[in-house]
Amino acid sequence: MTEERYAVIGQSVLRKGAREKVLGAAVFAADIDLGRPLVLLARRSDHSHALIRQIDVAAALAIDGVKGVFTARDIPGVNLLGIINKDQPLLADDKVRSRADAVALVVAESQAVAEQAAEAISIDYQPLPALFEPLEALAEGAPPIHKKGNLLLTRVVRRGDVDSAFAAAASLIEKEYETGFIEHNYLEPDAGIGHVDADGTLVIYASTQNPHYDHKEVVGLLDLPDEKVRIIQAATGGGFGSKLDLNVQGFIGLALHHLGHLGRPVRYIYSREEAYLATSKRHPFRIRMTTACDRSGRLTAMRVRAVCNTGAYGSYGIAVASRAAVHATGPYAIDNVDVEVQCVYTNATYCGAMRGFGAPQMALAHESQIDLHAEELHIDPLAMRTMNALQVGATSSTGQILTASIGYRQCLEAVAPYYRQACDHWLPAPTLPHRRRGVGLGGMWYGIGNTGVQNPSTARIEMAPDGSVTLFTGCADIGQGSTTVLSQIAAEILGLSPEAIRMVVADTKYTTSAGATSASRQTYISGNAVANATRNLANVLLTEAVNRLRAPKNSLLFSGGEIVVASKPEVRVAMATLARRIHDKGGTLSWQGFFDPETVPLDPQTGEGVPYATYAFACHLAEVEVDTLTGEVHVARVVAAHDVGRAINPASVVGQICGGVAMGVGFALMEEFEQGRTESMKDYHIPTAADMPEVVPIIIEAAEPSGPFGAKGVGEPALIPTAPAIVNAISAALNRRIYALPASLERVLAASIDAGHYRRKER
Amino acid sequence: MQTVHIEFMVNGKEVALDVPAGATALQVIREMLGLKGSKEGCGIGECGACTVVVDGKAVNACLLLAAQLDGCRLLTVEGLADPAGLHPLQEKMIEHHAVQCGFCTPGVLMSSYALFAEKANPKREEIVAAVAGNLCRCTGYQQIITAIEAAVPGENR
Repeated sequence: MTEERYAVIGQSVLRKGAREKVLGAAVFAADIDLGRPLVLLARRSDHSHALIRQIDVAAALAIDGVKGVFTARDIPGVNLLGIINKDQPLLADDKVRSRADAVALVVAESQAVAEQAAEAISIDYQPLPALFEPLEALAEGAPPIHKKGNLLLTRVVRRGDVDSAFAAAASLIEKEYETGFIEHNYLEPDAGIGHVDADGTLVIYASTQNPHYDHKEVVGLLDLPDEKVRIIQAATGGGFGSKLDLNVQGFIGLALHHLGHLGRPVRYIYSREEAYLATSKRHPFRIRMTTACDRSGRLTAMRVRAVCNTGAYGSYGIAVASRAAVHATGPYAIDNVDVEVQCVYTNATYCGAMRGFGAPQMALAHESQIDLHAEELHIDPLAMRTMNALQVGATSSTGQILTASIGYRQCLEAVAPYYRQACDHWLPAPTLPHRRRGVGLGGMWYGIGNTGVQNPSTARIEMAPDGSVTLFTGCADIGQGSTTVLSQIAAEILGLSPEAIRMVVADTKYTTSAGATSASRQTYISGNAVANATRNLANVLLTEAVNRLRAPKNSLLFSGGEIVVASKPEVRVAMATLARRIHDKGGTLSWQGFFDPETVPLDPQTGEGVPYATYAFACHLAEVEVDTLTGEVHVARVVAAHDVGRAINPASVVGQICGGVAMGVGFALMEEFEQGRTESMKDYHIPTAADMPEVVPIIIEAAEPSGPFGAKGVGEPALIPTAPAIVNAISAALNRRIYALPASLERVLAASIDAGHYRRKER
Repeated sequence: MQTVHIEFMVNGKEVALDVPAGATALQVIREMLGLKGSKEGCGIGECGACTVVVDGKAVNACLLLAAQLDGCRLLTVEGLADPAGLHPLQEKMIEHHAVQCGFCTPGVLMSSYALFAEKANPKREEIVAAVAGNLCRCTGYQQIITAIEAAVPGENR
């Protein structure tokens, strides 16, 4: 690709909204003041699995200050939620399937009264056996958690002849890997507030990753016409997947529906404890992976049998299982593949989307396998990865031919000098006698957008007759910076500065759907929708400029609010002049944009298909020092090379990489949500500034032809290689491998003892 | 409800309030003073999103009783900028892309402000230690630490 010069693309433009945030003036949902609000509180289930015989709310209603108590019977529409499969009631009807389930909703004058009332609700349960392990739930005779049974989905990807390849293998390795529940732990607990406006519309401000989905669900729950519900995304304090599900929005809608006549706003702010209890988690995985390679180290076959625990509800479970199955091979060419991933209901808190959708769990397995083969065959782990790396022209396990933008080798090459330096100089350098050093690599690929399903985005751009520009997008910016990136894309096409683009974002009254802020899809998909809308507008302006400047369209450029003749820059016309003329002639200055990545659904029997239009790639290097007496792991440095196609805003890409590495350090070493035990932030530890290694971010730009200015995505890729790199480094340091995450003090110490490193000081 | 009368300085202005005896400083700051920049992330002093500066020291407002503010000088994020413009910490946070979702930002700013009040020229390790109680889930801290380092008073020319 030729190196084009851009004015705004590739510039680390400052964040829109950052000024408000440093002033403490950004308005998050809990900050919104609409006058004296009524307070909502859900009564959560007392059992993990039980039938509900009766709910008695009389005592709660009798409490002074209680304005209403609602149960499933008070939901006028369809009491079932779920973005992929609808299986989750807002309020439990006949049964509860986990402790997170809401049974009744209290509306009260204050938090204290709401808490008292929630306690006073009397629920008569008939307890059922609770199942927490997927294998228990799949056992014959296990009590069905849902009517259709406990198996939500089996995703299969098959290609070639695995058994023959195994029989011919020079190295055949079969291992089992395990990961646990992970809490998103965004800093802002879920919150929302709503009121009924003058024309009877329920207006709900919420902390959300997908306002248009929220809108659809609230409309369905309440059986209202579309225009009677309006969702506005408040400033959102992180999401990482958990704010893709409906959290407070349905409760606020229900309360407004019944109590709107009181003329009071209603608000629901989750305590951190409620956010832990009631929102989705990352799916725990158990993965049995067998891989084979020939004498040279070339991978020839892979078999995977994996089970993931989706808890009480599907949420994004189907997407997680599907993505895990497609991503099982990692960024490597393997001709013979047999992958099965089962997604299973249990009575745990439901699991949903979390940064990576099953790919981080699978990456632990494929990256460990690579190191195991490398060790057995005495091949350098970096060389092993390079030899097997996907390249242009390769065919993936789903039969997709990869035609462009495959930057994995470039990522490996970028990391290589750091790797050699670490191996040659850092590793042998003296350290304390009870400490051992290790260097590890982790690689990944990541399909941008949803797996083999349509997931379009739309956008609208409007130029006023005075030439000012407004971009309307449904794309929720949850902190990752999409609003800024989308403004850069529009600004580049129109030759304006990003500050000149007024942004109207994530308000269902004024914007059309951009789909979810998930799957690392917004830069690529919404970026393309914005580019499409903006090019439509640009074309109209150019057409008018042709008349005015008497020069052909292809000789014209956008620059500084004007259209100029490239070869004669003195011949120019202000866009405002053109806009006024178009407007006066009755032309349109408001243009819609659309983009949907070209995918083909996966065949249910073989997994054949084109799950994604493009993939991001990355390689991380981790340098760790392990205390063999305590099991403590100090991560000294992470070098993180990411192929993002094109970094539209490099500083934002770096921010995503550094943030992803932090989440990866947590996933690797410390994070585990224990059902029934993890209740507050005292029980769950995420990395602090003091836990973080130096991160060396490296941006690789293997431009994607279908991307906006070549861009792909980075949000989830940033996290995925970190944990495998750290685990590989620990394993190298101890000569003992860790197969289950987190690599906690206990697990690392056990490995240290097992390897004989823990011993009395020698005399 | 039992109340306590307290008088204190908020961002340079004197305030007199009757506060519920059991109210936390965070509740009073957010609900009674209407200063919503201080955030509640956990309510138990683990996350640091509610960090404010009381008599020059960074404290978790969720762990402090409002009554304890009596006679104190309280600075919240709303008091950092002055009419002349943003505080250098605020400027550098923007400039170094240290703000993502922004929920932890006020707390990070206040911890850093207290550090600067105590030490004119803190080293990078001291900055890390000063904000180690401010959890951030977005940035991985690197751009935050760099921003704070860039705002160190001794470094400002």
